[in-house]
Amino acid sequence: MTTEHSDNHDRELLELLRELPAPEAPPGFYDRALARVAHRGSRRQRNRWLATGFAAALAATAAFWVVAGLLLDKPELPHDDAIPGVTLALEQPRTVNFVFASATALDSAMLTISLPDGIELQGFPGRRQITWETSLREGKNLLPLTLVALSPAGGELLATLEHDARDRSFRLRVMIAEEPPDGTPG
Amino acid sequence: MSSSEHHLAFERLVRPHLDRLYRLAWRLTGAKDEAEDLFQELLTRAFTKLDDLVEIDEPGPWLCRVMYNLFIDERRRFTRQRLHVVDEGSLPGEGLAGMAGPDDPAENHARDVRLRRLDAALAQLGDDHRVVVLLHDTEGYKLTEIHELTGIPVGTLKSRLSRARARLREMLEADGTFS
Repeated sequence: MTTEHSDNHDRELLELLRELPAPEAPPGFYDRALARVAHRGSRRQRNRWLATGFAAALAATAAFWVVAGLLLDKPELPHDDAIPGVTLALEQPRTVNFVFASATALDSAMLTISLPDGIELQGFPGRRQITWETSLREGKNLLPLTLVALSPAGGELLATLEHDARDRSFRLRVMIAEEPPDGTPG
Repeated sequence: MSSSEHHLAFERLVRPHLDRLYRLAWRLTGAKDEAEDLFQELLTRAFTKLDDLVEIDEPGPWLCRVMYNLFIDERRRFTRQRLHVVDEGSLPGEGLAGMAGPDDPAENHARDVRLRRLDAALAQLGDDHRVVVLLHDTEGYKLTEIHELTGIPVGTLKSRLSRARARLREMLEADGTFS
């Protein structure tokens, strides 16, 4: 690449960065936020609100961030009640987005998804465990997985990332709704 | 001071800075829901410090610093926890979803595509690089102002800015945005 090209790209990048839209608060947001301040003295209240927010967010496509951090010390697996969960409706595919955030680029990492009975990964019928080799870029790496529930039992999905003789495991509780999550029958 | 007077005094102090704080929250987190949580957390925290706040000559920079520190604390918690459930808006390439722009994207499809690719590329950067490039190149902060906000030495900021731009350029060249 020529210096001229490189300079042009530098200029283009700066122009594009300047063009990024300015975030604007939704109408009434500041008033609501200020009003909430008077009523939200404690962290516990905030956490309850967040828990409710997450439950609502799970009605839409869920997304899971997994911090791979393979260069960091091995963390303890979360306690049972700290495991994130997702609710599926029977036989209705639902995409769960895993985001692996890695502190550095990783080549030849092995990713294994272990599924509970009655839960399948779309495109892999009948498979309880799927393993593949992947490379992670530095930063965030998106992996959408479409899950389908074939029985009402639910269970725990285990995602294990291995690289250079080290590994990280992440659990996700999969629950099955008696009705679709949006509450409509059938 | 009664409770409502207390609240009014707080509102008078912070309201002139809300737009700037909201933008900062967006640039730090890169996602609407996280930005709004951070913004709310800042107000809640600042309200408990009202007695200190009224004594400060320039509440704006003070509020920005508190917000940055809250953001850093939250990121540390995030790293310790390892696994999180977040809303879709936080995914790479989705950061523009809740952001108002000057144009209707349908009227300028090519520009919209380029901005989405830039947004996705920004999401691939680490926080250290993403935040400095957004504050400097998008929001127009000087390096000295970013230093005052974050406490990071100017030399380090300069080198992060340079690496962030190089990485962004590389990604945008690879995906054909820059030909």
